[in-house]
Amino acid sequence: MDYKISERAKKVTLGTAVLGLVFLIIGFFQQKDFVYAKKVDDHSVELLYNGNADLETQNQLKETIISKMHGYQLEFHDFMDTVNHGSYNNHKEATANHEEAHSHSEEGNQHGPTFKWLIHIGHATHRDNHANAGDHESGSDLLIDMANSGDISFFDQGFRRFWSNLLVNGFFFFGIALGALFYLALHYATESGWGVVLLRILEGIMSAMPIGMAALLIVFIVGTFGGHHIYAWMDSHILDPNSSHFDPIIYGKKAYLNIPFFWIRVVAYFTTFVLFLRWFKKKSKEEDEIGGTKIHFTMYRRAALFLVFFAVFSSTMSWDFIMSIDAHWFSTLFGWYVFSGIWLSGMIMVMMITLYLRKGGYLPFVNESHIHDVGKFMFALSFLWSYLWFSQFMLIWYSNIPEEVIYFTERINNYKILFFGTFIVNFFFPMVFFMSRDTKRSAGFLIVIGLLIFIGHWFDVFNMIMPGTLFDQWELGLLELGMFMMFLGIFIYSVLNSLSKAPLLLKNHPFLEESKHHEY
Amino acid sequence: MADKVIFAMYDDDDKLMDGAKHLVANDVKVSDVYSPMPLHGIDPIIGIEPTRLAITSFMYGITGVMLAIIGIRYMMIVDWPMNIGGKPNFSLKENMLSFVPIFFEFTVLCAAHGMAITYLIRNKTLPGMPPRNPDPRTTDDKFVMEIKTSENTHIKESVLSKLIKDTGFLEIEEKSIS
Repeated sequence: MDYKISERAKKVTLGTAVLGLVFLIIGFFQQKDFVYAKKVDDHSVELLYNGNADLETQNQLKETIISKMHGYQLEFHDFMDTVNHGSYNNHKEATANHEEAHSHSEEGNQHGPTFKWLIHIGHATHRDNHANAGDHESGSDLLIDMANSGDISFFDQGFRRFWSNLLVNGFFFFGIALGALFYLALHYATESGWGVVLLRILEGIMSAMPIGMAALLIVFIVGTFGGHHIYAWMDSHILDPNSSHFDPIIYGKKAYLNIPFFWIRVVAYFTTFVLFLRWFKKKSKEEDEIGGTKIHFTMYRRAALFLVFFAVFSSTMSWDFIMSIDAHWFSTLFGWYVFSGIWLSGMIMVMMITLYLRKGGYLPFVNESHIHDVGKFMFALSFLWSYLWFSQFMLIWYSNIPEEVIYFTERINNYKILFFGTFIVNFFFPMVFFMSRDTKRSAGFLIVIGLLIFIGHWFDVFNMIMPGTLFDQWELGLLELGMFMMFLGIFIYSVLNSLSKAPLLLKNHPFLEESKHHEY
Repeated sequence: MADKVIFAMYDDDDKLMDGAKHLVANDVKVSDVYSPMPLHGIDPIIGIEPTRLAITSFMYGITGVMLAIIGIRYMMIVDWPMNIGGKPNFSLKENMLSFVPIFFEFTVLCAAHGMAITYLIRNKTLPGMPPRNPDPRTTDDKFVMEIKTSENTHIKESVLSKLIKDTGFLEIEEKSIS
């Protein structure tokens, strides 16, 4: 049966995208709060900034603080940090901090901390004028309030939040399309019968891959030319033994983590995926016209070949795109962990699109058992994901080796609710609600729990990326919401649009009859 | 009154399912079905209630996890606290994460064994017990439907045998039980 994207669906998806864009723009210009204050005692405050500010901007900030805090006498000290503080020493040796504040003006832009000041607040001579304020809160409380409310702050010139979000959404939606492509290949390679009626939906979802790819490419290109510092290993002075930012650990990994080889890999992944994707779509259309089993067996062999590529690429891809943000850290099962998330998000998307089309009456051949089986995949893959999440977490947490455990220390210190919340939502909700046979067949349960874990897996990607790029300065605001809505709207629109281009049922697939009568 | 049991044997599960549907549609009570493999969807047709084995499994699992928590608390916290990897070992709560695999394994152990043993006892198929199936071939490739005349007194015997005949059985056997 032919599906044509309805005007209403067009309006809703593109409207979501436009609304998202508006939110994104508002959020983009609202972001400040990039100076972080910590109270030491009533008379001193620690002020820290992790971004990208030259000496002039820093002096301006000092003046702003002095003018806002008039009535107090302020002394600025560059902070000599000897304690290894996870959040901003991620890519640096601890002792380098002090020099950085000074050397910054000549270094230009760089990744990581820029300054950390210890501000002593003494009372000025004309303290009487401010007796009211002084009685209730100390000077340091006042300063902290200003820092937290954004009164003293400056615009992040590195746009780290923007780029990090682009990476999160780019990877998440790229992953959904890739998950669908993987599942299609798996379906052909295992010669499965039950899901033939869903193959066109899988094709539709994987056709939206270029959206995520484009976002990822933008992030990589800008990073290569130094526009942002998500990938610390891309900065040349980190690899220069004479630089004060020299990083011996990243230097040791430069055989793999270097820009030319990175680009070779990126091009290899993307061309492989796109070529297979287009080939699968072309062949399935050909099969509609010609029939017979010849095309099916070609696809069977080619799908098996794709799985070989995918097995390697899914792992190395997640190292390159995500694990290399925290370039010091490594985990051997990271690739599987990312892959299980990708596959699961893909299956949730399959379920949502199927339910949507089925409600519109476009899928008379999809019966309860197909829905049930996709539901089983959602249930089982949630367990796979949770298992890998916990395996990675527990072993590292338990062995407590500093170079490994830093990854989780950062997350637990700064992202505690998100980090454990993601796990609890993505594990317990599917477990409790999808255990029963009836809930896996009920559209209501599937939609509510499915959307919940869909968002949960967005936050999973968020948790993978943000602690390495924004440290403890993450926020959830209009920027995040807007960018997610924009991507979601465009993604769904693109999926529905490519579904309109082909019939929703494969006409001549050899297992079509089996699939139509699928039970359990 | 002597009760008669009719065993109708089929060589195909679909034939049996269709036959059962046909009989039930004509108000015949089918008391049981013997099959070498699970027949999905037969339970609602012949009116067997959903199994409560899942509930017992849940209860065994809860028992298992509680036993594991009590045991580990005694062994690793109270009796002989061991310092493994510098982890906090003075309270169960702080060290909970490192015991999760053990909780999990013990839950599975108790749930699986409890469920299997309950199943065997409930079905009276513990090792060494006499077989209850009417024909040894139902463990191979034949399917048998059991109909008791005492449960179908509202239907005339001739009508009943005609209805059963319509289902296309392979063999039929009648047994009297007192």
